Parts: sequence; structure tokens; C-alpha cells
Amino acid sequence: MTTEVLGLPLEIGASSAWLIWILPFIAALIMPGIGKISKHATGYVAVGFALMSAISAASLIPMALEAHEIHDQISWIDSIGLKAGVLADPLSIIMANVVGWISFLIMIYSTGYMKGDKSITRFWFWMLFFIGSMQLIVLSDNLLQVFFGWEGVGLASYALISFWYRDKKKDHVGVEGRTVLGMLDYYAPTHAGMKAFIMTKVGDVMMIAGMLLIFLFAGTFGFRELMHDTTWATTMSAQGLLVPAFVLLFGGAIGKSAQFPLNEWLLEAMTGPTAVSALIHAATMVKAGVFLVMRLAPLVFALSAAGILADQFFEIILIVGAVTALLLGLQGMVNSEIKKVLAYSTGSQIGYMMMVLGIAGLSQQFVNGYTAGFFHLISHAMFKASLFMAAGSLLHVVGSRFMTDMGGLRKNMKKTYAFMWAAGLGLMGAPFITTGFWSKDSIFGAIYTSGHPWALPIFTIAVLTAVITAFYTTRMLGLVFFGSKSKHVKKMEAEGHHIHEAPLSMWVPYGILAVLTIVIGLVGLSFEGGLHEIFTNYLEESFGIYSVHNEIENSILPGFLDGINPVALTASLSAFGIGTGLGYVFYIGRWVDPVQFVNSNILFSTFHKVILNRFYLNAIIYWCFVVSPLWLSRGVFRYFEQTAIDYGMNNGLQKAVGWSAKVVQGTQTGVTQSYLFVFGAGLLFVVLILLI
Amino acid sequence: MLELSSTPLVIIAILGTVGVLLPIISIARKEKGSNSFYAVIAFSALIVSIGYVAYQFISDNILPSALFSKDVLVDDAFGGFFAIAMLIVAIFTTVGSFNYMRKKNYPAVYYSLILLSTIGMVLVAYSTDLVMLFVAWELMSIPTYVLVGFIKKNPSSNEAALKYFLFGALSSAIIVYGISLSYGLTGSTNIGEVIHGYATLDASLLPLALLSVGMFIAGFGFKMGLVPFHQWLPDTYEGSPPTITTLLAAGTKKAGFAATIRVIVLGMVVLNLDWTLALGIIAVMTMTIGNIAAIMQKNLARMLAYSSIAHAGYILIGLAISPYSTLGLQGSLYQIMNHSVMKGAAFIAVTGIVTTLAVTNIDKLKGLGRRMPITSLGLVISLFALAGVPPLAGFWSKIVLFGGALDAGSTIWWAPWLAIAGVLNSALSLAYYGWLTRKMYFEGETEKRVSEPKSVIAIMIFSMIFLVGFGIYPDPIIKFVEFAAPTLSLDIMP
Repeated sequence: MTTEVLGLPLEIGASSAWLIWILPFIAALIMPGIGKISKHATGYVAVGFALMSAISAASLIPMALEAHEIHDQISWIDSIGLKAGVLADPLSIIMANVVGWISFLIMIYSTGYMKGDKSITRFWFWMLFFIGSMQLIVLSDNLLQVFFGWEGVGLASYALISFWYRDKKKDHVGVEGRTVLGMLDYYAPTHAGMKAFIMTKVGDVMMIAGMLLIFLFAGTFGFRELMHDTTWATTMSAQGLLVPAFVLLFGGAIGKSAQFPLNEWLLEAMTGPTAVSALIHAATMVKAGVFLVMRLAPLVFALSAAGILADQFFEIILIVGAVTALLLGLQGMVNSEIKKVLAYSTGSQIGYMMMVLGIAGLSQQFVNGYTAGFFHLISHAMFKASLFMAAGSLLHVVGSRFMTDMGGLRKNMKKTYAFMWAAGLGLMGAPFITTGFWSKDSIFGAIYTSGHPWALPIFTIAVLTAVITAFYTTRMLGLVFFGSKSKHVKKMEAEGHHIHEAPLSMWVPYGILAVLTIVIGLVGLSFEGGLHEIFTNYLEESFGIYSVHNEIENSILPGFLDGINPVALTASLSAFGIGTGLGYVFYIGRWVDPVQFVNSNILFSTFHKVILNRFYLNAIIYWCFVVSPLWLSRGVFRYFEQTAIDYGMNNGLQKAVGWSAKVVQGTQTGVTQSYLFVFGAGLLFVVLILLI
Repeated sequence: MLELSSTPLVIIAILGTVGVLLPIISIARKEKGSNSFYAVIAFSALIVSIGYVAYQFISDNILPSALFSKDVLVDDAFGGFFAIAMLIVAIFTTVGSFNYMRKKNYPAVYYSLILLSTIGMVLVAYSTDLVMLFVAWELMSIPTYVLVGFIKKNPSSNEAALKYFLFGALSSAIIVYGISLSYGLTGSTNIGEVIHGYATLDASLLPLALLSVGMFIAGFGFKMGLVPFHQWLPDTYEGSPPTITTLLAAGTKKAGFAATIRVIVLGMVVLNLDWTLALGIIAVMTMTIGNIAAIMQKNLARMLAYSSIAHAGYILIGLAISPYSTLGLQGSLYQIMNHSVMKGAAFIAVTGIVTTLAVTNIDKLKGLGRRMPITSLGLVISLFALAGVPPLAGFWSKIVLFGGALDAGSTIWWAPWLAIAGVLNSALSLAYYGWLTRKMYFEGETEKRVSEPKSVIAIMIFSMIFLVGFGIYPDPIIKFVEFAAPTLSLDIMP
């Protein structure tokens, strides 16, 4: 099946793989032109191109099911043998579909959410640019190309976080005037964009260092080429550079996926329009780090199987993931801004994925953890995008980012209420009916059965985080929809604003995702089984990682739960129960006043304060990397720049040149006799040089 | 014997006939005005000439840099290269004059003199005999004395002409003295034979031979505007009609270099190599003093005059290092070709500004970017090309020049210092180019656009295309330069 595309003979599948990421870029390029013609049309074009890109991705699904792989390359930089290419294997095809379809839904949502914005063309440009870059990451067949997409999504993220660059008060995040260790906990969009860009850049620098280190030994950036011939790994391992190189690469993932200790940018990233938060900072870009790990992990695991050990790589992933999951989950419990709660939750859930990918590499049964991580990525992308979009509707209607300004909205916004419950249940992990339950359960199972000495402590952290997750989700729903209406809402109603449901173009997208959370949840186990099978084949064929067939033996559960680890099941059920129950007590039933409860005990109140202050991590980062360098640079400016450079060099140089120009001009008298004299002297001078 | 179809003879025939006929026609028609009629004739003659040179190159009728010849002229690539550079300048001058000479007297004589001077310039580049070279030199110089003073009633034009003439006469005398010394020592005026004679010269006579070299350096250095033979130059450039300044700065200056390469550089390889150090010292002095003096100038023409002194210094770097690196002469030739266009365009822009706005004071050029957008853009691009800002053409020639100096460093210790001096001077020159740009684009607010002379616009567009185009894709010119530049070593001795 070959066809001519732009004069290049391509397989049909290959051409649609290219189109997935090229189409959004084309749309982004033509967007300014369309914006000049009609602002109204930009939305249709953007959604249309997003749809075409998603359809291209969908056309590849049969390949993924058949475990077929497309690897198409064109020459890029010939002189060093670099090739650009697409690699459509089951991993990237499924990921491309997740990205493509969620992008499409969020683009539809944006047509409602961003309606009437003066800079709508800029918005569409960056959204499409983002989708193109993200799909470039997903479909690249080599690290360098991934890095281009990586920087592209970073740039789009920066531009969209700072989208409302006029820094109006309503677009800030944080509480005005609140300080932590002397640092303001209140951020303007432009500041937030810069913060995100710089913090992720720390990871990016590590990533490019790791990439180049590998390139130095392997002479290639290609994923398949790296797998094909592993002598480079042996050499690097012998010099002790293999693990550092992979950990550096993981540094990029830490930055992009907002993992500890580069997690702080994600909270301020909430200054962007909510559609952006949903797409970039919940469903897709922050998953790029997870995706990168998923690209690399089988390679590293296969190397271990070949005797080149790199266990520390997986251990670091595991620890980073576990710490992030717990740390950010805790902070999600106390924040009062709805988008920030969701952002904390996002970081925490990504921590889960990292955790299980780490454990996968440390266990015998690699495919279990691998599938669990990817399954959680998919289900999280759905329910978190849905929750974010719903939160956007609330912001839209109420005009405040604080949950304390909402309250009692369940009667006014019935659809949003229902969909948020459905998606929220996914996040909480409501048993048997939501994707979140099954994916979380498979994570627990993978950790519990890994056989690694750290399995139990990690398992405890995972379950604890699940309790916390269920709690803060219930808290969020309770604060927004239950209880009586807040002063803010009452004031709005008194002023004649009617609290109403969001428009059709907005609730349909998050409705679809919320319903999908439940629908896939109902068949969650077989969905997981399907994924498991695909990845088992994929890992076998592409990496030679064979799974051990022993799952059924240790299954003691009956019927539809066949194949599930009983300990994991018990843990996820009780985590859901405890977390939701506590949340119900405080926020839905409102039997206990949470404020009084926290203040009742010095231990609770101290703990609450520490969490609310983000474990002081953000403030410490600011003191070390923002305030101190500023002091240093001011010092250098005052005591070096202004004295040595300005007075010494700049003024001195200028004076010297000015003075010598005067001297030279002094010789230019205009008197012909003196000219003739100089001419004669010059002749003498030349002859003297020659003769001496 | 030269064939009748050889390039220099054909150029003499075309330009000479037209040049002589123009005044006769004007007498026959009994008129003083009608500028554009004569301009078109002169322009056509120049176009035909440059076309013929180009045709000779394309059809491979030209020797690749034959350095010596029994004849007085040789039809080689070196001469052809200079002929193209000089004819471009002559065309610039003629086209610029379309506007400048409007409603001025004696246009026929004016164009005739330009054509005759052009013949002189071209022949200097083709000469292989010292007497031929001197005759060509005078043919080039004498019409320009008249042209500089062409605005009879303008005192500064008169002063310029007088100073120029005095120095021209002095330098001619010195050149003749040099020639007579070398004839006395070797019994010939053919450059090849002079060099042969010098190579077998008795040691006791060597100082006299070196004295003749000194005479040549001083005599040619006057035209090139080398320090300390430069002092006439700013006064003359400022006072003469700006079109003629173009001819002097971009054209006759190059003839000085052609003569220097023919006589000194090629010829004196056989003498001891002290003359290279002399040229190196002069090069550094020339560019430094030129740039420093340019910084404080208030008059645009005068600033560009000093800038052209500085550029003579850059070009001289290549000559000074020519025995040590093949890149030396290539860099010089490259810079010469670029300089013809850059400096030619800059002075034609001055012509446009003078004829339209009647100002040359830089302080009065505020907001020129709004008043004369195309002229300003052309001027700024020429200035940045002169400074060697990438990706303009001037960047590449400086790269070759300074790279050549670094390359020569492996043989001669002082060569890298020439490159360092060149780079520092280029940076220094940006001070006044940038200052002028700021005046033109970032100062003034209320200026309205005025109509720009079409002839000036044409030249601006041509030079912008040349400078940007060959900046982005320098390959053809580099090939041309490699073909035209003579390779220098002791083996080339006749």
C-alpha cells in the first residue's frame, strides 16, 4: 500500500502518522491569515484541523491492535547521519489517540470558553502549535526530534499560561497579600509563565545533556537504533555513565511532568485560560514526561535483562513518583482555589504513574506495571480534563477562582454537577464503575506483587495517597455544590446575575469525557486486559521482554474479579471508603466544621499550615534561585558594572577615541603646504623602513 | 602581439570613440544642456564594455592571471576582474549623474571625461609595462582633476580640484622617478624584465632598487589614500561633485591597488621581503586613522571619505600578506569588488540626498528613513556591508582577508596582528555607521516623504540585491576571485 505524498513514496499508514503532527502546525501557520479575514472563522478552522489530526490518529488504531509497527524515516541532517522519522508503535498510537481526541474535545470547549476574547487568533495559534508539538513528541522515532517537540510544548505552555498578559487581578493565582517566608504567594500570569518556562528548562537542560551523552557513545538518537545495537550501553555502563545519562533524561521528565522537586511551576500555571489548564496542564503536556519514561523504560529493562544493570534508574523514578504523589496530594487537601486543587491532584496522579513505571522496572513482570501506568494515564487524562473543563464552567459562571466563593450550586448547574460527580468519582476511584478505580487498582496490584523489598512502604504511600485523593475530591465537590450559597454568589444574584448552566459547546465536551469515565469503567477490567495483551506483544516483539504467565495461579477471587490481586482490591476499596467518608463528614454532610477541627489541636493546625505553605519548598526555591541571584546581580551591577565597566571602560574608551579623533583632526589642517610636508615625510618613512 | 579583439583594445575603442565624439556632437548641436541625451550614450557605451568583458570571461577567451607579458598590455583575468569592478563604478557614476547633472552646463564634456578616465583606470589594471602603466595612470588622473573642479563657481570644488591636482602632480613625479630608477638599474620598462633584472642585481645596488619600491608605494599610495599620503582626500571628496567622489573613492582608488599588485606585490617578491612589513604598518595606520577620524565627522561625504581611507587599510592587509598566504590577494580582490559596490552605492546615496535635500550635515539627516526610505535603506545596507555585518557581502570578504592574515601567521609573526587590528577597526567603524543609522531611523518624527530620484533608486536596488544576494550566496564571487587572483610565489618569476 504505497502512495505518493509530496513526491515521497509513503505507506498510507506512514503518511497519516506524519499528518497527525504536521496538520496542527499547518493550521497554526495559516491561523494569523484567517484571523485577518474573519475572527469568527478561526474557531471552526482550529477545531476542524484538530479533528483531522485526531482522525489520522484513529486510522492507525487497527495497526496497534495487530501489534503492527510503522517506522518511516527521511534524511534530516545528512552530514551527521541524522534522520527524522515517525515511529507508530502501539505505545505512540494509543497515546496519539488520547492526545488527539482530548485535544479535539477541548478545542470545542474553547470555542465557548474563549468566546469574545480579543486575542482569540493568538489563542488558537498557540493551541494548535501545542497539539502539533505534543504529537511530534509522541510520534518521534528519535530523542532529538522529541526534544524539538519538547521545547515546542514548553513554548506553547509559556505563551498560554501568560495568555492574559495584562495581569488583571482576576487572572492571578494565590491569595493576595499572603506571604510564605517573606515570599508573596500571589502570582501574575506573566510571572507564572516565566516561572513555568524557567523551571521546566532546568529539566530540559538535563535532558539534552543526557541525550548528547548517549549520542556520544551510540552515535544515534533513534529509539529503534539504540535498541538494535547495544554495544554503546556496555561501554557506557563500564564507564559508569549509563545510569547518569538515563537519570539526566529523566530530569527532563521531572520538569515537564511537574515531579518533585520541580513541581512548583504547575500551580502557578493555572493562570492560563482553563481550556489550557485542561489540555496542557492536566491531560497532555504534563504526561509527556510519563510518555518519555514509557519510551525509555523498556529499553532500560531490556538492557538489564541483557546483563547491563540500571536498577538505580528505576529506583529514582520510583522514589520521585512516590514522594510527588504524597506531597502534592496532601497539599490538594487544603487549598481553596479549585484549579489549584486540580493541579495538585494532577501532579499527585502523575506521581502514581511514575511510581508504577519505576516498580515495573524493578519487578519480574515488567508488563504489569507498564500497563498499569499507561492505563492510569488514559483514565486520568479523561477524568481530569473533564474536571478541569467543568471547573472552567464554574469560574465562568461565578467569576471567582475560590471554592469558598461558590457553594450550593447543585441546583443551578445540574449538568455540571452530574458530570463533575462522574469524573470526580473517577478521580476518587469509585469501585467497579469508574476507570480510575481499575487503573488505580492495577497500580496497587503491580506494586504489591512486584516482589521488590521496597514494595510494602511504596504500597503504603500509594494507598495513603488514594485516601487523600478521595478526600480532597469529595471536599471539592462538597464545597462547590453543597451547603448554602456563599456571600459572593448571593451578592451576584442580588445584583441581578443569574447563575445558570454553561453553554452547550462547553458542557458537551466534559460531559462526553465524564460519561466515558463511567462507560469504560464499567468494562474496565476487560479494557485493562486488552491493553495488557497489546503491551505484552509489543514488549515481546520490540524489546524481547517476555512476561511470566503466573497471574491466574494466585487469583482467588471469583467471577468478574478474576485475575485481581485481593490485597490490592481490599486496599483500593478501603481507601475509597475512608477518604470519601471523611470528606462527606466535613464537606457534604457538614457535621463537623473543618476550620474548628483543624484549630482544635496544635498538631493539626501546624500540619495544616505547613501543607498550606507548600512545605516551604516554593519559598525556599525563590530564596535560593531568585532572590539571592538578584542580590548578587545588583551587587555586581553596583560595584563592578557601574564602576569598572561604566567609568573605566565605557567612559574611558569613549574619551580615548574622542581624544584621538581630535588629534587626528588636528593634523587635517586644510593647509596644502602642511599636507605636502606630511607626504614628503611619509615617503621618507617608507624608504627608511625598506632600507633598514 | 595583442589581438584586436582582446578586451583592453576593445574597451579603448568603444569608450575612446564615444568619449571623443560626445563633445563634438555637442558642438555640432550647438547646445549646452540636454543632459540625459549624453548620459544615455555614455551609459550605453559602458554597458557594452562591461558586457564585452563579461562575454570574454564566459567564452573563456581570457588568460587566467598571466602576470607578465612581452607586450605592454595583457588580456588576463586579473585585468578583467578590475575592469568589471571599475566599469560598475563608472556605471554608478553615470546613472547617478542623470539626476545630478540636470540643468548644469557642459554635460557632454562631463560624460566624455568620465569615459576617458574609465579607459585610464581599466588600462592601469591591464598594464604590464611601466611606461604603459604611467600613461594609463595619467589618462585616468587628468580627467578627474577637471571633473573635481567641474562646478566652476563653487569655491570648495575649486579648492578640492587644486589640492587634488597638486598632489596628483607630485605623485606622478614620484612614480616617474621610481620608473626611471628601475630603468636605470635594469635597462627595461617591461615589468617582467625589471623583475628579472632585480633578481640578478648586484648587492651594492639593492638600496636603489628598494628606493624605487618606496617611490612606487608613495606614488600609488596617493591614489589609494594610504596614510600618510591621504590628507588631500577628505578635502577633495567633500568638495567635488558627489558623483565624481563616487568615481574617485570606488574607482580610481582601485586602479591604485591594481598598479600596486602589478608592480610592487608581483614584482618585488624577488627582493627581500621587507616591503611587506612596510605595507603592514601602513595598513594598520591607514585603517586606524581613517576610522578614528571618521567618528567625529559632521559631514556625510567627509565621514565616508575617511571610511574609504580605512577600507584602503583593510585591502592593504591582503597585499602585505600576499607572499605568505594565497588568501591574501584573494581577500584583497574580494574586498575590492565589494567595496566598489558598497562605497559606490553609499556615495550615490549621498548624491541623491544632496540633490534632493541639499544637506550633507549629519545632524540634518534626522528622520531620513521616513523622508527618503529607499535611499536610506540602500545607504544603511551599504554601511553595514562596509562594517562587515553578516550576512552581507562585506562580511565574507573580511572573513577571507582576516582569515588570510591568520593563515599567514604560520610563516610571519606579525600577520595575525593585522587581523586583530582589522577586527577591532571594524568594531570601531560600527560606532559611526550605527550613529548615522540611528540619526536616520530613530530620530526626528514629523518628516514627510519626498520623491527620490529614480536613477538613485535604481542603483540602491541593484546594490541591495548585490550585497544581500552575494552575502547569502557568496559562492559565485568567491569562484570568480579565486580565478582572478594571481598566485604568488618565487616560481612565477619570468
